Amino acid sequence: MPPTPKNAGAPGRGANARMTETFMASTVIGAGITIEGEITTDEDVVVAGTVRGKVTAKEAVTIEAGATVEADVSGGSLAIAGSLTGNVTAVERVDLQSGSRVIGNVKAARVTIADGAQFKGNVDMDV
Amino acid sequence: MAQARIHSRSDDAREARIGGAARVRGRIHGDGALIVEGHVEGDVAIAGELTVLAGASIEGDSVEAESATIGGSLEGDVVAKGPVRLVAGARVRGNLRGSAVSIEEGARFSGRLDCEFDLPQELTDAAHAEERGRAGARR
Repeated sequence: MPPTPKNAGAPGRGANARMTETFMASTVIGAGITIEGEITTDEDVVVAGTVRGKVTAKEAVTIEAGATVEADVSGGSLAIAGSLTGNVTAVERVDLQSGSRVIGNVKAARVTIADGAQFKGNVDMDV
Repeated sequence: MAQARIHSRSDDAREARIGGAARVRGRIHGDGALIVEGHVEGDVAIAGELTVLAGASIEGDSVEAESATIGGSLEGDVVAKGPVRLVAGARVRGNLRGSAVSIEEGARFSGRLDCEFDLPQELTDAAHAEERGRAGARR
């Protein structure tokens, strides 16, 4: 992803227009935030907080260490370092990183389970 | 396609952002700040600052935040401990409550304002005079 110029906003569009340019175009659920419901996006999703419901993304989904996700998650590729209960589907790959705790079925063409990851469920690599 | 990876985000760890292409159906709550670039259908209750950018929308019964800056579209009642700002381009339908409410030129708003503020001197004088007058009449 190319770096975003900080003051690329068109002149006269106000502080909010400028603010948009400085942020990356993706969805981030911070550590203090809980979403009970459904997240749908064509972009990336990063979860550091809590999500209960469903996450559907077209690009990368990242579940950070300390995050709690009780949801079915689908995305382009998934990296999980936090706790996840639910079924996981990725177009490309799923990486269960060290320290992650996953209960549910994983479906992707490529799956890695790192040393130190806890996992209970089925893996379907579509062979 | 960008590969997912874990990165530290210590600077905005308590912040949540709903990206421009994202839609959330459900309730969002917590103690951080929330920036909405996309669409939210549901209630919002956060202890931090709420920012609804131009092009974004929130449709909920109740929106609670420490303070709110709205440049997009919002339907629902807003309750903030601090100030509520409607900036140019905002479209808001619902009641607003805050320590201060400002509506910039170019913002559209329909609803009730619930905001405590000090009346100008001449109005408070007039109110006092009327009160005294009423008290006198009662006697």
